[in-house]
Amino acid sequence: MRDRFSAVLGALMPRRVRLDLFEPALRDIEIDDLARRRAGRGGLPASASRLAHVIALYIDCLRLTPSVALATRARGHERIVPSRTPVEPLSMLFYNLRHALRLLYREPGFMSAAVLTLALGVGANVAVFAVLEAVMLRPLPYPDADDIIILNHRDQRTGVTKEFIAMGDFIDLSSRQDVLEGLNGFGDFDGTIFDVGEPFRVSSLVASPGLFEMLRVQAVHGRVLQEGDARQGAPPVMMLGHELWQTKFGSDPQVVGRSVRLGQQTRQVVGIAPPGLRFPPQSRADVVVPMTVPAQAPAQRKSGWTFAAGRLKPGVTVADVDAQLGTLSRQMEQDHPAQNQGSQYYALPLRQSLVGDTRWPLLLMQAAVVLVLLIACANVANLLLVRSLGRRQEMAVRMALGAGRGRLAVQVLCETLVLCAIGGTAGVALAYWGVPALVALVPRNVNVPGLDAVGINRGVLAFAFGVSVATALAFGLFAAMSIGRQSAAGALTNAARVSISRTSRRAASVLVVTEVAVTVVLLVSAGLILRSFTRLLSVDPGFSTDSVLTIGIQIPADRYRDVEARKAFYERAFGTLSKNPQVADVGAAVVTPLTGNNWTVPFERSDQPVPSGQRPPDVGWQSASGGYFKALGIPLRSGRFFDSRDRPGGAQVVIISEAIERRYFPEGGAVGRRVRLGQADGEIVGVVGDIRRAGLTDEPRADMYFPFERSPSNGITLFLRTSGDPTAALPSVRETLRSIEPAMAFGAVETMADVASESLAPTRLTLWLLGVFAIVALALAAIGVYGVMAYAVRQRTREIGTRLALGATGQGIAWMVMREGSTIILAGLAIGLTIGLVAARSLRAMLYDTPAADPITLVATAGVLIATMLVACYVPARRAATVDPARTLTVD
Amino acid sequence: MTDRMPTATHLQFLVLAVLKDGELPGREIRRIIARYGVRRTSAAFYQMMARLERGRWVEGWYEQIAVGDQAVTERRYRLKPAGAKAYDEARAFYESVGVPGRKRWSDA
Repeated sequence: MRDRFSAVLGALMPRRVRLDLFEPALRDIEIDDLARRRAGRGGLPASASRLAHVIALYIDCLRLTPSVALATRARGHERIVPSRTPVEPLSMLFYNLRHALRLLYREPGFMSAAVLTLALGVGANVAVFAVLEAVMLRPLPYPDADDIIILNHRDQRTGVTKEFIAMGDFIDLSSRQDVLEGLNGFGDFDGTIFDVGEPFRVSSLVASPGLFEMLRVQAVHGRVLQEGDARQGAPPVMMLGHELWQTKFGSDPQVVGRSVRLGQQTRQVVGIAPPGLRFPPQSRADVVVPMTVPAQAPAQRKSGWTFAAGRLKPGVTVADVDAQLGTLSRQMEQDHPAQNQGSQYYALPLRQSLVGDTRWPLLLMQAAVVLVLLIACANVANLLLVRSLGRRQEMAVRMALGAGRGRLAVQVLCETLVLCAIGGTAGVALAYWGVPALVALVPRNVNVPGLDAVGINRGVLAFAFGVSVATALAFGLFAAMSIGRQSAAGALTNAARVSISRTSRRAASVLVVTEVAVTVVLLVSAGLILRSFTRLLSVDPGFSTDSVLTIGIQIPADRYRDVEARKAFYERAFGTLSKNPQVADVGAAVVTPLTGNNWTVPFERSDQPVPSGQRPPDVGWQSASGGYFKALGIPLRSGRFFDSRDRPGGAQVVIISEAIERRYFPEGGAVGRRVRLGQADGEIVGVVGDIRRAGLTDEPRADMYFPFERSPSNGITLFLRTSGDPTAALPSVRETLRSIEPAMAFGAVETMADVASESLAPTRLTLWLLGVFAIVALALAAIGVYGVMAYAVRQRTREIGTRLALGATGQGIAWMVMREGSTIILAGLAIGLTIGLVAARSLRAMLYDTPAADPITLVATAGVLIATMLVACYVPARRAATVDPARTLTVD
Repeated sequence: MTDRMPTATHLQFLVLAVLKDGELPGREIRRIIARYGVRRTSAAFYQMMARLERGRWVEGWYEQIAVGDQAVTERRYRLKPAGAKAYDEARAFYESVGVPGRKRWSDA
């Protein structure tokens, strides 16, 4: 009968209260509840009624807690009739909390300002932390996932990095390394399963058998893949993913041992994978097939590439792995200089590999929101300081009646605690609504598991609680300390001239200077990112992204087995599509630009071979049809595009980008020259303009294009330039393609404009968040400046009245106030700019074509800040100018 | 002895009186005293019972009972000698102040 909810409530109260009050009363509720159920009485459902009674009981127990605590303290000579004087600490705490609630209720203006400020600060922190928790802190779905690393390749000559490694190097590294439990290759491909009802598409994980040991997983039925399965010539086998086994095989364990046709090969099912098995976590694994690795490294070491992962041996760190990979890379470079020159391998922890470029923006955001919270704290501290002026008499009376400074300080602390609890709760509510908007800004290429389930979980709530308590302590102590400086006698005897001390006033000014400085840091950072973003938007990628639609397609392998059949299909498809009035140009390519792809190929002039022992430089690789260049508007500089002359089995030809011509044919006239392509030569038939291939921040690259017409594959991305809205052309394009091949599978559909926009996602994320937080900070700082200046004017009303009576003009008084405000603003600006310039250095990696000390950004920041702050000063200055000397001088 | 105010309050006296005839579950005691117009929340009632227990006037324990086919526990109480003594003392006091010819407590 005892439910978890009651147990939790019981755990939240003092032991004595729980044992004496809560437990016996809870049992009565249980008995009544049972009796009601047996009687089958109507009204609320039994569980709801019980819940209501338990909550009411809990509240009642809380109410009685102080008197129970009192009796506990009096143990030994305990009176049966309790004392009525609530002097014990716990009862004082409840008293102070109740008092604080009453006070805040009586001051709705102060409470709204403070709660709103805190809610903004806490809410921003909680929202960003919720995303940070999901992306960077939530455990990955493997045991000890932090020990799993992914191998990466870096070409030291170009700096280009890849997440996969060459097959020859993979084989050598596997046998030579001793810091990982094993090195496991993996990859994926889409296939079709036949003979199980209608054929259907599946995502396949192809993996070294050691991957299962690395992930510490076992088969649910049958066995996992074993070393023997991956040997060349071994019978083809596969494992079924748990979800596929459930949905397509009816969870039948007898499927183990059955033969199933996957693509063109029939494989025996040897086991069922455990639920949720995926690797990497963002991919799907409907089936798992063994990766066959040659026993010896092939002569062409870079002839194939694979992803590779491993698990650290006990006591080994990522740095140890890096060190060994560096040594082995150098060894392989010495052993195979022609192929491994400049090749360096390094390890990245799995999470880092998944999070990618988004890590820094998120950490930066967390830093930014902490700054916003600091500003919020400073503002609330100022509000409390000004409020303490109005309460000085109250405090003085309390002190005169015997209250100690400690007790008054505790009371003030309790008030800030209540304020923070309300502000924190409102902040969590704000975060609850803000998190989805934040997640929408996270780039789609960040496929960390759990990102789709970002929310306010226990960890985030604990963070919110911690932030709220830290906030309460931060400015609560500040306000409590001001109590210690007050003199009861002074406050009581000089009631009409109450004011906070000079030190407190200075402290308030320092707080506002800090606020302004922090705001400047945020404004500078946001300004730099904005400048960088606008520059990126104006970058010419070398091709047109307007009115271009990309569609991934896959034609059935069994019907288009030979290259002639595939070529015939594509010729027909391109011909039919080009007759569509909505389609202006149509082409196909393997690599979609601006998606981060860094595939490369060695470049070597046939007439100027690279000296023996040296490796030719890498240039970008692309397989494209002639229509691809037209569809994307990549200009032809000389020669021709690929066309019907480029057929399977025909002469090998390539198109190069201008950068290759500039770099490797300085004399010009590259068309007609020959280049080495593996063991054979190929002719350069055209030179096209450079494009930024991996991303907009990428420099225009040297690329070499191979004719898609010569070796068309089953899967490809179509590029269609449309005459109007690209998405409007999609239905007719699909219909056309289906009419040619009904069994065609369609993949991702995106406009090139969306692809380009997505490539800016990390920068956009940073800009949005920094921008929003900078504006919030600016608003909070403006409120802070206003608060301090308004207080100063109020405090000096008599002085201003006297000045006016003696002949000062309203304008002069206004200037005086503005001058004082300007001092605070300029001090904050100077400090902020200095810190901002230092902080901007950490942004360098995220800036594009914008120096960290960009003068336009700095001047604009100063301008925006000064304008905003002067407006904040103007209101109190205007009030000072309109002070009536007759009234101020006659009122004491 | 009877001239002095009794140690037990009128409410405690009422509870002791209820328990004078034998042990009872807490919710039954609460139901009976409610008939005399004493309405306490269950938490407040058990707080009072806990005080009586710590004063060794009553003894409390949990006992398993069956409600239908469901076994549950309830808190039961019985009077202890000190409680019986406190009850007698209070009763004697109230009787003495109510007897004509004896000094009335309000005249003290």
